[in-house]
Amino acid sequence: MVKTNDNKILKYVSATWSGYSFIFIFFIIFLIYYISNGGITWNGVMNILRHTSVIGIIALGMGIVVITGEIDLSVGSTLALVGGYSVIIFNMTDSIIVTLIFAIVFGLICGLLNGVLVGVTKIPSFIVTLATMLIFRSLSQYSCKILNPELTGGTNSVYKIINTLSSFDLFYKFGNGILFTIPVTGIFLILVTVLFIYISTRTKFGKKLYAVGSNAGAARLSGIQVNLFRVIVFGLSGAMVGLAAFLWIAMNASIDPATTGKSYEMYAIAAVVIGGISMSGGRGKCIGILFGAMSYTVIDKIIVALAVDSLINDTIKGVILIVAMLMQTLSPIIKEKMKVRKLKEL
Amino acid sequence: MNILEMKNINKSFNGVPVLKDVNFSVEKGEIHALLGENGAGKSTLMNILTGVIPLDSGEVIFEGEHIENQAIKKRQELGIAFVHQELNLFNDLKVYENIFLGKEYVNRFGTLKKKEMIQKSKELFERLRIEIDPTAEVSTLKVSEKQLLEISKSLFFSAKLLILDEPTTALSNDEIEHLFIILRRLRDEGKSIIFISHKMPEIFTISDRYTVLRNGMFIQSGKITDATPEEVTRLLVGASYSTLEIYQKRKLGNVVLELKKFSGEGFKKINLTVRKGEILGLTGLKGSGSSELMNAIFGTQPAQSGSIFVFDKPIKNGSIHVAMKAKMALLPSNRKENSVIPDMSLLENMYVAEHTLSALNFHINYSKELNKFYNYKEMLGIKCNKPSYGITSLSGGNQQKVFLARWLNTEADILLLDNPTQGIDVGAKAEIYKLILNLAEQGKTILINTLEIPELQKIADRCAVFYNGEIIKILQHDEIDEETVMMYSTQAIGGHEDGENQ
Repeated sequence: MVKTNDNKILKYVSATWSGYSFIFIFFIIFLIYYISNGGITWNGVMNILRHTSVIGIIALGMGIVVITGEIDLSVGSTLALVGGYSVIIFNMTDSIIVTLIFAIVFGLICGLLNGVLVGVTKIPSFIVTLATMLIFRSLSQYSCKILNPELTGGTNSVYKIINTLSSFDLFYKFGNGILFTIPVTGIFLILVTVLFIYISTRTKFGKKLYAVGSNAGAARLSGIQVNLFRVIVFGLSGAMVGLAAFLWIAMNASIDPATTGKSYEMYAIAAVVIGGISMSGGRGKCIGILFGAMSYTVIDKIIVALAVDSLINDTIKGVILIVAMLMQTLSPIIKEKMKVRKLKEL
Repeated sequence: MNILEMKNINKSFNGVPVLKDVNFSVEKGEIHALLGENGAGKSTLMNILTGVIPLDSGEVIFEGEHIENQAIKKRQELGIAFVHQELNLFNDLKVYENIFLGKEYVNRFGTLKKKEMIQKSKELFERLRIEIDPTAEVSTLKVSEKQLLEISKSLFFSAKLLILDEPTTALSNDEIEHLFIILRRLRDEGKSIIFISHKMPEIFTISDRYTVLRNGMFIQSGKITDATPEEVTRLLVGASYSTLEIYQKRKLGNVVLELKKFSGEGFKKINLTVRKGEILGLTGLKGSGSSELMNAIFGTQPAQSGSIFVFDKPIKNGSIHVAMKAKMALLPSNRKENSVIPDMSLLENMYVAEHTLSALNFHINYSKELNKFYNYKEMLGIKCNKPSYGITSLSGGNQQKVFLARWLNTEADILLLDNPTQGIDVGAKAEIYKLILNLAEQGKTILINTLEIPELQKIADRCAVFYNGEIIKILQHDEIDEETVMMYSTQAIGGHEDGENQ
């Protein structure tokens, strides 16, 4: 009888484990940071949130793409392109609101381009977004070189916000400001996360994301217009990158078209995967993405705290990604083994 | 002389016997038709012969040698070849590469001797008088050519006994003719052929002898010249069934669905009218067009010409969404592939279709959805624990009820059910029939496509029998019995009517 009790606890733990392994992973990494840093302040925690905001918002957009069973490799380049042009728009209009709207709409358009190519022409999303990844990056670099330096903020290699504009102070404060001890960009991240959790769990649109990713054929036969749906999902992902680009320029006041957002598609995918979303689609929670993205920010902080060479950074991130994947793939195998053993005992 | 003898074969799966003391023998140089309904045990018997599944007891003697314990590969080497219904060819490889796959000719350095292989393939095709280019890519071949390629391939490796599983389903009449010429030639060369088919005219043109299986039992063997198609059909079906009398004549309403010269992939020129509250059965052999018709009505497959009227309004064809808005619903066949959304819960699986109609109403009202779920749970008798459980935790019959709920939830008036009792146990089947009758009683119009005639006998007001993409006969409720339907769908008796038949 003790045995069945044991099994019950085991079952409960394994169920929580397979549903929320991202929390375990985050806390393990956080603990390492805590130890290596010799404690942590409230500001330190908030800093994690602040530094996660851009990649976190991008990862949330990536998350819904992955839930439908697709992938978006273009997010990093979209960030550089949309960010660059948003800087130009700000320099031209001196208006924060117009810049925000422009960034989101331009991001949306970039995403819709991916979406139409995937949904309508049926080219695999991996290929489509690989191509647009190259295109967007190159366009950002090329425009920066040929456009009037007055628009790009004085140089031909970086998009820079002109800091003499009247709205500049407010814009910079917005990007680096703090509200009730919480960084403003962090509030944005939390709001977007809450919005995505709401969409994915409480709306018809959200449930269809999972249906398409789980069995696109059955989803189609249930009346979901799968192709149209793909267009919308990529569009949303693009709009999220647009929002992230807006936050980026608010925080940094500049975009380097050659390096900004480089490898961000990989970090975003990693955050999504660590967050427990299945790469084959149909499974996972949006809350996981927040933890996945924060995990990676904390790794950065650990590296700084330990004062190791920052070039080792990606090695550690790569290893953590593999470990996180192993935890997810091994748990069903172990479960299966336990089942077989139980059968043998019978 | 018998090339093959199978004696007292017994086999059961999980304690359910599927073959009971079956005897089966094939002579050298004959074409032997193996007949039986779905589930009669034909494929199990053939799988035992080729060694795919082990037998429980009995003997298998091939050319005087016991082969019960031989592996699949060994049996192939002895000369038993199975030409499957789904052809086992590699589409991206060339014809000769398919023939020599795994048995390539190579020189000392391990490089392929392509020329020699192409030459050998050419000789093989010439000998069989088949016109296929050995260097063509298999994907460019027609289905009939693929079939011939598969046959040639097995003959190249000196097959003595060929098993053809429904080889004519995807072939046109000319192609069938061609296939038969080749089969006859092979027979005259002394090869033996087991020919599995449902179609009586074909069986009676090509076979020398026949064996009938029914419910896992050997029924009869004989010479085809001593039998008539009607007799064989009767053997196939067996004595009449205990019919559960649940059918009651209902009063039908106005015409709600009308097809005019409706044509598409797999069916042509269908004229059909269905009344409110009617249960119309569609049946026919696999590939006869009934399932394709149903899918085209719902817009999952494009139609080529003709028109659909629902409640007297013409429907733009080709969009599932439009069909759903016109109050139609399709419960597709192949539940696992086309209905199950495996990562979602019972509740989610139920409401997904309705949510595409009410998509602009963004928010999900959980308590409302739960109420609906419990309503359907009671109405359809779904046995489940919690609505949040995964759909895959349910049995096939209960899953199907959830999907029925999915479509009732859209408040559709016309329900298209494509093979709704596929893979469902007997008890659950009976429940589903009752549900269908109840729904018709409530004024739903129901079209059911099924190969199981006893099902239709129990519930259908009328039954449209398909042959080669056309409605060949519409039977009234009293006329529906397995024998009659089989005779029409196998063309054992002729009969051609325009589909319009009230």
